Amino acid sequence: MIESSADRLATTPLAIDADGVVRRYGELTAVDRISFQVAQGEAFGLLGPNGAGKSTLMRMIYCRSPLTAGRLRVVGLDVTTDARAIKARVGVVPQENNLDPDLNLRENLLVYARYFRIPRAVAEERADRLIAFAELEEKRTARIETLSGGMKRRLMIARGLINDPAILILDEPTTGLDPHVRQAIWDKLRRLREQGLTILLSTHYMDEAEKLCDRLILMDRGTILVSGAPRVLIERHAGRVVLEVRGTPLHALPAPDPTVIVEDLANTRHYYAESTEHLAPLIRACEGCETYLRPANLEDVFMRLTDRTRLT
Amino acid sequence: MPALSRIDPGDAARVWWRNYDVYVRLWRTELIAPLFEPFFTVIGFGWGVGSLIAGKVMGVPYLTYVGAGLLAFAALIRALIECTYGSYFRMVYQSTFDAILCTPIEAESLALGEIVWGMTKALIDGFFVLLVLWGFGAVLSPWGLLIPLVLGLAALWVAAASLIVTSRIHDINSYNFYLAVAFSYLWVSGAYFPLANLAGWVQVLAWLIPVTSAIDAARALMIGELGWRFLAQILFLLGVTVVTIEIALRSFRRRMIV
Repeated sequence: MIESSADRLATTPLAIDADGVVRRYGELTAVDRISFQVAQGEAFGLLGPNGAGKSTLMRMIYCRSPLTAGRLRVVGLDVTTDARAIKARVGVVPQENNLDPDLNLRENLLVYARYFRIPRAVAEERADRLIAFAELEEKRTARIETLSGGMKRRLMIARGLINDPAILILDEPTTGLDPHVRQAIWDKLRRLREQGLTILLSTHYMDEAEKLCDRLILMDRGTILVSGAPRVLIERHAGRVVLEVRGTPLHALPAPDPTVIVEDLANTRHYYAESTEHLAPLIRACEGCETYLRPANLEDVFMRLTDRTRLT
Repeated sequence: MPALSRIDPGDAARVWWRNYDVYVRLWRTELIAPLFEPFFTVIGFGWGVGSLIAGKVMGVPYLTYVGAGLLAFAALIRALIECTYGSYFRMVYQSTFDAILCTPIEAESLALGEIVWGMTKALIDGFFVLLVLWGFGAVLSPWGLLIPLVLGLAALWVAAASLIVTSRIHDINSYNFYLAVAFSYLWVSGAYFPLANLAGWVQVLAWLIPVTSAIDAARALMIGELGWRFLAQILFLLGVTVVTIEIALRSFRRRMIV
């Protein structure tokens, strides 16, 4: 996975090229010398706790926030000088739905298309295709306020695609949606990814990042903690299996061997290991107490590496 | 580099067009007020207040004198409302501007689209007042046909000034102060009575606000008395409006691109 991404970075033109990007608001440094590259056709994730700088970084990429320092190129153009041209080739789905409540569903797409100067006939054809893609045919003339949260989200994604973008940028695309709707959105995004669209998404749902991203960066306090393919990051920072032990004095058991990593997170002791064999002595010792054995996931990486003090 | 040079007229037109589309959808509610209000205002001033004022004011019938003021205020208040509450709703509550700024349209073109839309609304309202005034015989000269040009210019200034306020406030209640200033100014604008009746310093203050010149110029067109005074007022209005739009565009970018 990481090789294929590296190959792609080497051989295809870059969709996004960030080099020492800084954004300061007065005393606060929201984004602190961040560098990364996204190849065309990649699905790239920005992860991190609230306030990590993900949204600020995204806003700089779609030319809504100026850079304090550094260099940022999107579709080969510089954000500080070519904002208009970049914005013509990027589709944005912001965190908050900002559909136009004064227009109906289809008009939302058509008026948005007009901002891109898409000829009317092309816009109508695209709008109808995107309405079908978003499974909103029955609502085509509905008022925005009559749409459910999931429908609005799908319409937002449809609107983000109206200019046939080279990159689709999604800021927390499924936050606040129910599991069915999230599955439906993921399905849409996977289909776009298969069609070769470059996708940049921020999320703090680890399952979302694992399912959708070829590569990701984990951010905290404006800096990159780690970057790479989700599976690689998990194995490197959380092993393969995790044993959670909770609620008894036994939870203070030390690691059975040096390869097992121990961490106390949220009143639960976590043992990260390469295999269940390493954890076997612990499981026996913990007989009768509250334990939970599971595969390691991105959440473990997230919890281990991001600053936990702010949560307490 | 002046912010004005960053305007793309085509982009600004598309912002204007969006507002126009919404206006057309809501035309019933949008048109009733501008139809009713001027009719009763002119009746009130023409027959009510006007009948109390037997003599002429500055050599013209009172309805002609006050008509220019009523016309200007009906129109300019519309521009003010559009670029305060209207723009604020689109900026904060509906996030319409956030959506637009994710397209090729840049902050300056968006701001200009809003300002020109404010002017458009002012002209629609002003048109009805002008029509009623014409019906009541208050417009004495065919030059009166050019009044919309003066009104349009003044409306651009009001819209730009209002957008400056909008781009600087973070609470919709902050408009109360701005509105208080606008409505207080109404009484010293020369709309209802000649400025010469007021203290010297009030007159100076009043002439600093370009709306005073716009009302005076509109009145000159109604009467058909065009001279150096008229020309000076138009040039003053033009200059102040260009500068105010430049400031509005900068202010708007500071608010939106953060």
